Amino acid sequence: MKNYSKEHLHFLQKQRFNVFFTHFCRILLLFCIFLIWEIVANAGIVDPFITSSPSRIFKEIARIAKDGNLFYHSWVTLKETLIAFFISSLAGFVIAVILYVIPPVRKIIEPYLIVLNSLPKVALGPLIIVWVGAGSKAIITMGVLICIVVTTISILNGFVNTNVEQIKLMKTLGANPTQILFKLIMPSNLANIISVLKINVGLAWVGVIMGEYLNSSAGLGYLIVYGGQVFNLNLVMAGVVILCVLASIMYFIIAGIETIVAKKTGSNN
Amino acid sequence: MLKLDNISLIYHSKLGETQALKNLSLSVNDGEFVSIVGPSGCGKSTILNIISGLIKTSSGSVILDGQVVSKPNSKIGYMFQRDNLFEWLNILSNVKLGLVVQKKATKENVSYAKNLLAKYGLGDFTNHHPSNLSGGMRQRVALIRTLATKPEILLLDEPFSALDYQTRLIVQDDVYKIIRDEHKTAILVTHDIGEAVAMSDKIFILSKRPGTIKKIVTTNFDSNLTPFERRKQANFNTYFDEIWEELA
Ligand SMILES: Nc1ncnc2c1ncn2[C@@H]1O[C@H](COP(=O)(O)OP(=O)(O)O)[C@@H](O)[C@H]1O
Ligand SMILES: [Mg+2]
Repeated sequence: MKNYSKEHLHFLQKQRFNVFFTHFCRILLLFCIFLIWEIVANAGIVDPFITSSPSRIFKEIARIAKDGNLFYHSWVTLKETLIAFFISSLAGFVIAVILYVIPPVRKIIEPYLIVLNSLPKVALGPLIIVWVGAGSKAIITMGVLICIVVTTISILNGFVNTNVEQIKLMKTLGANPTQILFKLIMPSNLANIISVLKINVGLAWVGVIMGEYLNSSAGLGYLIVYGGQVFNLNLVMAGVVILCVLASIMYFIIAGIETIVAKKTGSNN
Repeated sequence: MLKLDNISLIYHSKLGETQALKNLSLSVNDGEFVSIVGPSGCGKSTILNIISGLIKTSSGSVILDGQVVSKPNSKIGYMFQRDNLFEWLNILSNVKLGLVVQKKATKENVSYAKNLLAKYGLGDFTNHHPSNLSGGMRQRVALIRTLATKPEILLLDEPFSALDYQTRLIVQDDVYKIIRDEHKTAILVTHDIGEAVAMSDKIFILSKRPGTIKKIVTTNFDSNLTPFERRKQANFNTYFDEIWEELA
């Protein structure tokens, strides 16, 4: 394995350089955007009162970090998002399993799922507030509603598309339906389920922020709306930046899990 | 002994009904290697599905060792065109699948499966995942998975057709040797006349749909010959032509 030809070593070196170059350019791009933004804001070409600027955003973050607001509001939103994410993922999975193992119910429910999926869930906002009460509960409910239908549909789709010949094989080996479910359907859909979770992370943030816009007294969504109302655009931008960072971290955690699973199952293509 | 007694099968679908098999009877003796050849769509796979108990006949019955087969049965093993190995399991776990499902994964049975892997050149790969194996090796693993539960009869549905020509000839020899060594009865479905002649003691030629036995050809080769060696015998071509004419 180690006795590569000179040509191959050169090739590897070039590849490594390409990877490095891509990363470098990405960071450079971000840096340039921030730099230009800062310069045009400071030079008065745009009004920093409206557009804010990187240094102002940074100062604002430092300010709310000092008075404890940063941690408090981030934690409220993160908690709501995690709860919405776990509830919707688990419930969506369970519903998908139930619908898969009872085909007649699946047939009956299918059109309802499609309608629910295309319904803009935000429209249910006022209804949710009346039903579960304002505050955290309503926000989590919004998050769950946005995620759960897509989760159910995508996981169910994966189940239904399991290789029929492998199901036939399990039957010839004498497997009962439960064994087919646990030994074939679920493990063969693991990669699909994880990619559904990846989408869910994003959706959970959408749902929770939406919920916080509609009604809340805490959270990043609240902070952003509040900032807009008092015309503190620095605060709005700070909220968005923090949101970006948190959402990315959560996304990369799931992506990491995905890589580990792919390695473990040997499907590393 | 396996007997199919006057079997008919009609498929029902939205588009209508299809009579796949009509009054088909055949019998296979213990330890025999038989093939079923016939035009595509004449009901060959259907016959195997019926023998394995996956689908029920419209009339007639399957009798194995004096008992009617009506659902999947551990005496019967099934091998498909594709190996259907589970990519998320390693080779040993794939081979153990039937034992686990039948709750027979005892030490003895697992070591039997391991021995089979070792005996047929896969001993070094037990911890590998299927994606690391070549097509021919994968098909051998699939056969050992089928053998692990110690079935009496193996049903092979075009198990070589997904392999390239050279690999196919090699895997035919491998599979034939394994089946003979382990003293199994085998029913091979194929549309490859050469393959049928090279591997079987007896060849059932099916008619167009609805499938029914048109002719039975019995081969007579020296029992020590491999399928590849059989292809070089003078009578290979005689059998080949006989079947060819029947199918034309
Ligand atoms: N589930 C099914 N429903 C309806 N028709 C079927 C079904 N399975 C097979 N058939 C039809 O029955 C005939 C025999 O099929 P099959 O046994 O698969 O043929 P072969 O294996 O000889 O090519 C074909 O014409 C096929 O279209
Ligand atoms: Mg077929």
